[in-house]
Amino acid sequence: MLSVEQVSRTFNHKQAGLIDVSFSVEEGEIIGILGTSGCGKSTLLRVLSGLDKEYTGKFSLEKEDVGMMFQEPRLMPWLTVEQNVAFGLKGDQKAIVHELLDTVGLSGFEKHYPKDLSGGMSQRTAIARALVTEPEVLLLDEPFSAVDAFTKMQLQELLLSIWKKKNTTMLLVTHDIDEALYLCDRILILKGQPGVLAEVLTIKQSKPRDRTDPDLASIKAEILHVLDLRETAS
Amino acid sequence: MLEQSNRALKLVQLNKVKTASKKPRSNRRLLLGSILPVSLVILWEAASNMGIIEAHLLPAPSAIIASLYQMVLEGTLWGHLGSTLTRVFAGFFIGTFAAIIIGSLVGYLKIIEELVDPIIQALRSIPSLAWVPLFILWMGIGETSKVTLISVGVFFPVYLNMVAGIRGVDRKLIEVGKIYGFTSFQIVRRIILPASLPSFLTGIRSGLGLGWMFVVAAEIMGASKGLGYLLIVGQNTYSPDTIIGSILLFAILGKLTDWFLKVIEERSLRWQDSLANQH
Ligand SMILES: Nc1ncnc2c1ncn2[C@@H]1O[C@H](COP(=O)(O)OP(=O)(O)OP(=O)(O)O)[C@@H](O)[C@H]1O
Ligand SMILES: [Mg+2]
Repeated sequence: MLSVEQVSRTFNHKQAGLIDVSFSVEEGEIIGILGTSGCGKSTLLRVLSGLDKEYTGKFSLEKEDVGMMFQEPRLMPWLTVEQNVAFGLKGDQKAIVHELLDTVGLSGFEKHYPKDLSGGMSQRTAIARALVTEPEVLLLDEPFSAVDAFTKMQLQELLLSIWKKKNTTMLLVTHDIDEALYLCDRILILKGQPGVLAEVLTIKQSKPRDRTDPDLASIKAEILHVLDLRETAS
Repeated sequence: MLEQSNRALKLVQLNKVKTASKKPRSNRRLLLGSILPVSLVILWEAASNMGIIEAHLLPAPSAIIASLYQMVLEGTLWGHLGSTLTRVFAGFFIGTFAAIIIGSLVGYLKIIEELVDPIIQALRSIPSLAWVPLFILWMGIGETSKVTLISVGVFFPVYLNMVAGIRGVDRKLIEVGKIYGFTSFQIVRRIILPASLPSFLTGIRSGLGLGWMFVVAAEIMGASKGLGYLLIVGQNTYSPDTIIGSILLFAILGKLTDWFLKVIEERSLRWQDSLANQH
């Protein structure tokens, strides 16, 4: 459904960005993208979303209906929470908006402006905005980085339930290895500056998974090894 | 002209900071702020009555009010007020409208900017009052030349702020629209215009201020009605009460119309994370 062939996008005379990334994604797969800060994860999503056209190599995406959640909330400051969530919707679909706001724990804040939200609340608003249009492909850039551990687990369940319902294809950038292990069918590990694709790990366990599964723990050890970290450093 | 519009801009910013005060404190402010002017007026009145100030140079406040009241009784004041207000509003709307259209195009389309902006910048550096003889030559001394002059005065601050506002729109927000497949028109309407609203409102407030300045110029140049005309009448008939009365009316009208825009500004910018919106 998505095939990426030797895509490169570099900045600063090839000192930063990403180089020669190739992979392919099947419909309904959840792909995790891990890597240290600055290795080009956001850049990769920007290329795939069509926002950045200055890349070399080629990729083909068979779906048109692509949703994206940026690393920052990017809410419209002049719109209330509910208007922000409804931003990409066509027509008046208040019921769906309110249901989703309830799911991400923001009911009661519908009429607030972004300036009155905490970081985590802004991020949840942005999640709701990305999910409400139910796109066929979702590009998620560290979607849960600003929320607490418990809310994070709930939001991960939300992603899984959407995936189950719509068989959504997802590319999920994350710094949380456990999150990637819990949600993803495959994990791409980027490394270096500029980033290259260092490793692709497949996780066969069916979803929903047990977060304490010892098999997952062994994959985690492998990931840490690829990232050159000792296990204790997690 | 540039200096003036800068000053108007600064004034707007000052006003914004002022509104940061809370309600209970605003009564106190009003009280404190009126002590000085009220005592000055009382002093002035007393000094005039005692003959310390010569009435043919500076008449007593009561004499000024009386002469204004006389014009109300004669029914002439409304005519003067009406024609000045009509000129300001007509010039304000025409100038603002032109600035919105041209400013949006220049701000949004690079090619139009390269085409149009240099000439506008060049025109801007002409002190606007220098246009007066030309406008009178072209359009005669009637309403058209006056309204045109006021429109020119209003145009530049609105245009500059409009362009700056559009330029300053966060690219990251525009990308959100692109992700949703918005057309250029949708991006302008749903992202660029609302995002540049604060700057635009600053622009129309300084534009209105300049509109009031230019109406005085236009009416002094030659008119048979209007507050500026009253100024000239006062000068020619040696009646300082008429002059000061008109100045007073200019001040009141200018303040009222600016207050009106300020209320609109506050209403529509409640979302802004600014000093003025702290509570
Ligand atoms: N528009 C740009 N101009 C110049 N350099 C850029 C630009 N965008 C990204 N870069 C550089 O490319 C590199 C990768 O950036 P990117 O945002 O993709 O990193 P990332 O993997 O998402 O990092 P993080 O985990 O911190 O979000 C960085 O070194 C960054 O400085
Ligand atoms: Mg990033």
